[in-house]
Amino acid sequence: MSNGALKTSPLHEKHVALGAKMADFGGWEMPIEYPGGGVVAEHTAVRTAVGVFDVSHLGKASVRGPGAKDFVNACLANDLNRIEPGKAQYTLCCNDSGGVVDDLIAYLRSDDDVFLIPNAANTGEVVELLKAAAPEGIEVENLHEGYGVLAVQGPQSDEVLEALGLPSGHDYMSFVETQWQGHPLIVCRTGYTGERGYELVPAWDVAADLWDALIEAARAQGGLPCGLGARDTLRTEMGYALHGHELSTEITPVQARVGWAVGWKKDTFWGRDALVAEKAAGPSRVAWGLVVTGRGIPRSHCAVRSASGEALGEVTSGTFSPTLKQGIALALLAPTVAEGDEVVIDVRGRDVAAVVKRPPFVEVGVRES
Amino acid sequence: MSELEYPEDLRYTAEHEWVRTGDGGVVRVGITSFAQDALGDVVYVSLPTVGDTVAAGDACGEVESTKSVSDLYSPLAGEVTAVNEALDATPELVNTDPYGEGWMYELKVDDLAAVEALMDQAAYREQLG
Repeated sequence: MSNGALKTSPLHEKHVALGAKMADFGGWEMPIEYPGGGVVAEHTAVRTAVGVFDVSHLGKASVRGPGAKDFVNACLANDLNRIEPGKAQYTLCCNDSGGVVDDLIAYLRSDDDVFLIPNAANTGEVVELLKAAAPEGIEVENLHEGYGVLAVQGPQSDEVLEALGLPSGHDYMSFVETQWQGHPLIVCRTGYTGERGYELVPAWDVAADLWDALIEAARAQGGLPCGLGARDTLRTEMGYALHGHELSTEITPVQARVGWAVGWKKDTFWGRDALVAEKAAGPSRVAWGLVVTGRGIPRSHCAVRSASGEALGEVTSGTFSPTLKQGIALALLAPTVAEGDEVVIDVRGRDVAAVVKRPPFVEVGVRES
Repeated sequence: MSELEYPEDLRYTAEHEWVRTGDGGVVRVGITSFAQDALGDVVYVSLPTVGDTVAAGDACGEVESTKSVSDLYSPLAGEVTAVNEALDATPELVNTDPYGEGWMYELKVDDLAAVEALMDQAAYREQLG
């Protein structure tokens, strides 16, 4: 974000009152961590109990009108015909060269109503692209500040939702439209941590009361409010892509190995021709995980070399894994690289040894029934 | 973490290191409560090697948290005489006890008078604003 004041979530005052450390996430001032927690404690709470995150900076947009599903399906990469109404789907908004403008979740409400959750910084662009392409009768609306988004993540998530009288236990990537204290609420079984969990979408003005209730219920389960610092270490342990790092307009889904989110059999979607050609030819670089075997923590843009000194690529995200107690990284590497290869990461001039691994780096229960 | 504290018997630098004067021209160096709090959970500390000669202002190590990395600067000129090897296995000592068990290294300084030229507690607090 180049200028102007940062936007704030409907929970901003709650975060300030809790004493959270705040930072800029895609133009939004959001909590990184809370006092009494910290990234490692918050991360561990999600892996072992439950954590509640404010992710209201995420975008919200709706596409409505006769044939809304078919319209979205002709634009975004994944195939909405793979799912039924009441299910959500991870999908990609690509450009003509196959680069990724954004990765997002599409909630299929009906054939005439699709709700989208893009990334904070990309919401405006996704909405503009869809608006420009929309035929007569299809309305695309940016609802960024119409809804909050709260994530409840961890093995005790169901207990937290039950304490609020909310539905839980539905299938992975399905959602229920319900009410909480008389207000409409979407409860989707999804998340970005690798643990069993839910993302709740209340109206903007309802988010603060819902947050208070969730935090109280989570604390009773040994849980914590969690900041976006822990969300990043959790998603990195899973190898989940973060737009701007593992995916970008310069990094295609074929390279990032999210081809599973592309409807290859569809006749049309943005970037189709470029992606089909790249898939056939084979990508010039491929996403891998790296587990540090020496000492040190790789960070974005650290160069990766073979043991013999050959340049292999670079780190896209790196951090300390609170679960493994080790440095881990996601990287884009030459197609010659294979699982188990020993490589060297240049961490600010220091050589750090690492082994190539296909993420996730940890065992998790995200899809358990 | 309790309230951030800055002991009166220490000297401080603008880069948020503290210096404690010991015997025989040896000083102990660590990072302040402010620095560890700003970093968050410290997960890795890279220290200089015993026997290294450093000049004032030299980057001589790194402190990494889950979120970021920060250079460790030598506040004074001298020779490294000891490093806190406990930080290899338990870097979190930097958070829990920054002025005690979380110390970083010791330096035999060339000029003890230079220690007195560093900020005292009041000046450091003022710099923090």
